[in-house]
Amino acid sequence: MSVTVRGLTKRYGATLALDDVTLDIPGGRIHALLGHNGAGKSTLIACLGGGVTPTAGTIDIDGTTHDALTPRTSIAAGVAVIYQHLSLLENMTVAENLFIGQELTAGGLIRRGEQRRLARAALDAVGAIGIDPDVKVSTLPIGQRQLVEIAKVVRRDARLIVFDEPTAALSRAEAARLGELVRDLAGRGIAILYVTHLLGEVLALADAATVMRNGRAVWSAEGSAITRDALVAAISDGHGATNERPAPPRRADIPVLEVRGLTAPGLAPIDLAVAPGEIVACYGLVGSGRTRFLSTVFGRMPRTGGTLFIDGVPRETRSPAQGLRAGIALVPADRAREGLFAALPAQDNTVIDAMRRLGSWGLRSLRAERGVFDRIADGLALRPRAADLPAGRFSGGNQQKILLARWVNDAARTRVILLDDPTQGVDVGARKDIYDAIKTLAAEQGMGVIVATNEPEEVVDLAHRCLIFAKGAVIDEIDVALTTADGLLSAIHTAPAAGATTGPVAHPASADLTEGSLP
Amino acid sequence: MTKSTVTGPLVTENRFLRAAVEGVVRTPLLIVLIILVIGVQIATDSFFGWQNIRGILQDSAVIAIVAIPVAMLLIAGYIDLSVGSSLALGGVVASLVMDKGAGQPAVAIVLAILAGAVVGLVNAVIITVLGLNSFITTLGTLTAVRGVAQLISPTPRNNFGDQFGLLGVGTVAGVPLSVWIAALLLIAAGIFLSLTPTGRHVYAVGVNRQAAYLSGVPVRRLPFALFVLSGAMSGFAGTIVAARLNSAPAGQLGAGFELVVLTAVLLGGVALTGGEGTIFGVVVGVLFYGALNNSLVLLGVTTFWQAVASGLALVAAIGLSALTHVLRLRLATARARKLVALAA
Repeated sequence: MSVTVRGLTKRYGATLALDDVTLDIPGGRIHALLGHNGAGKSTLIACLGGGVTPTAGTIDIDGTTHDALTPRTSIAAGVAVIYQHLSLLENMTVAENLFIGQELTAGGLIRRGEQRRLARAALDAVGAIGIDPDVKVSTLPIGQRQLVEIAKVVRRDARLIVFDEPTAALSRAEAARLGELVRDLAGRGIAILYVTHLLGEVLALADAATVMRNGRAVWSAEGSAITRDALVAAISDGHGATNERPAPPRRADIPVLEVRGLTAPGLAPIDLAVAPGEIVACYGLVGSGRTRFLSTVFGRMPRTGGTLFIDGVPRETRSPAQGLRAGIALVPADRAREGLFAALPAQDNTVIDAMRRLGSWGLRSLRAERGVFDRIADGLALRPRAADLPAGRFSGGNQQKILLARWVNDAARTRVILLDDPTQGVDVGARKDIYDAIKTLAAEQGMGVIVATNEPEEVVDLAHRCLIFAKGAVIDEIDVALTTADGLLSAIHTAPAAGATTGPVAHPASADLTEGSLP
Repeated sequence: MTKSTVTGPLVTENRFLRAAVEGVVRTPLLIVLIILVIGVQIATDSFFGWQNIRGILQDSAVIAIVAIPVAMLLIAGYIDLSVGSSLALGGVVASLVMDKGAGQPAVAIVLAILAGAVVGLVNAVIITVLGLNSFITTLGTLTAVRGVAQLISPTPRNNFGDQFGLLGVGTVAGVPLSVWIAALLLIAAGIFLSLTPTGRHVYAVGVNRQAAYLSGVPVRRLPFALFVLSGAMSGFAGTIVAARLNSAPAGQLGAGFELVVLTAVLLGGVALTGGEGTIFGVVVGVLFYGALNNSLVLLGVTTFWQAVASGLALVAAIGLSALTHVLRLRLATARARKLVALAA
């Protein structure tokens, strides 16, 4: 078994998501793939899984050359992708999931006993001894679900398993067990492509590593040539040259936002003062509490203790509506699900909050709304600059600009803007527009900005200060201006593994995404 | 304003002309409606008689009054199946007040509206506070409220007096009073949905409830109010029906009416999945429904065949709007691509 990707290219309009990528993954080896969001890792995975048709290039699997794979031919060729969002049917049992689409039948009826027996064997083969094949997947914690998914693909004779940031949602013990399992799978001759942000995992597991940047495979190495320094340099290479530092914040003034002893379920007490014009990054992996912190400040999740001040005035934020009244706005990470009104025009999306203030006698002022939209669309370089176009039809980067515009237009009253993973799925050009806009807002309007991110590059590009989150607590604080990009990257990448166990017990990462949804 | 659509070089700077063009493009049923009435007029030479038109408008008025809140709820992502029973309750309550022409029409109307609003309130509490599904909840109240109406008036009251009767048969400038009322309510609803912030919030809730919540939109209060409104308007519609019949049989009043309203609203392009629809579309849908049934009578189609033809025509009409919806999306996508390409 061996998988070779040759000259793979994927073009979306004017942007190259993948640019002539060549990668060799022999059976029995673990190949790590690194690079920041938008570097092209996801597109590469999607090409292997058959979800995306490459513009050019080939994928060779065991000597058969494919120009393109469909989900069906991909599975038939033995490729399995374990996504972060697992593809299990939560309402069905573990055994049913293992056999879905390949049910064992006799006379048209499912042979439940036989499926159960084989499911048991398949689970044992991946070390999932404690999982009962008869329980519903929805009752299992995230780590066990992942094992079920692995058992499923192994049972279906996967020859290449792609792991997409598999430990992002796992506890340290679970992650260690997964590492052993991955090594064990490779030992059985399965080829592994392991996508991760964590240098520690690469150093511990990988036989070979490739770093992607802007759609290209820019660096690769094998065995002992893989070092932390080399990886950091490859990931951040050429970085920061074009980006200006944000203007210094006005630290002497009253903090625009101050929290004292802020606590919430799964969050250790946090103190933070954000000066007017200051951009604070909250760096951490999924489940580290960074999203939870933003949600608590905004009022989406109830806070259990502490006080919050806006411009020195104590404010209650028990609901999003209260948070907004206090002058706090949140741009959520999941744009499609929680941010955008995809079917509504861009302009409606932008002025949905400002509408009430712009109108008079209960009626909207269409003219004023259009003016607000035009000015902010220019300010953020929205492309296309079409007020009537449904928001869902814009590119990811421009959708993000629309969401940003909702809270920073000239009819908005935002004092503090909370950005959760603001450049997820945003291309390089739009990323710079968004960074520039955030810096300008902070500098000119004296707004406070908090950015939650798992990208070190984003911290360097954007922030004055960086809080490092792990297990629901702030474990370190770094003055971004006083450090180099490499130094920060190194510090950040080391931090989560540095044994900061002072915080409360970590909640499963999924809670970060689901809690604090609608009451 | 409304959603974007491809309008081509026809579009001028004139906002109203543009809105009119978009309205026609978005509502292909309007063209079918025009073809239908002209065809029937040629075939029977009796469609455009004032008596006939008046009958259609009078039937449509009651449907339209209830269709307004039902459409708003659908746009917000909810459904109300209890409107037919609320209508019966409203009619019955009014009939108790007006029995043998004894009571005050104003009191009858206010109590009918209140009775409907109580049904709406019950729906609203169960759905928006307790969080139950609106389809299931209103399916339940549909049956329960019909029972309540029959309990409070086991035998139909009738003869409500001339004053109350005006509501059903009275005219202003030759046009039935109920048609005037429906027209005013439709205009108000149109203004509400497109020109007030709260109106736009109805769409926002239907398109993406979570995003609306995080944007400070009152995602519970808004549907709550719409359910109460739905009950109140249904109760009011009940008084019109009772006045026209001059009787209020609790078992028959508004039976199956929820499906009539739903059909008309869906014909008018309101999406069952929420987030989409206009009052203009509702007007066209209601009129098409009325004109179709009337045409079948004029064409001398026998009763059972009428039902068959009416059902098939409705499916075809909804198929047509689905088809043009897909076409519009394709065109809009092509336009978006062009804009993106221009921008790049």
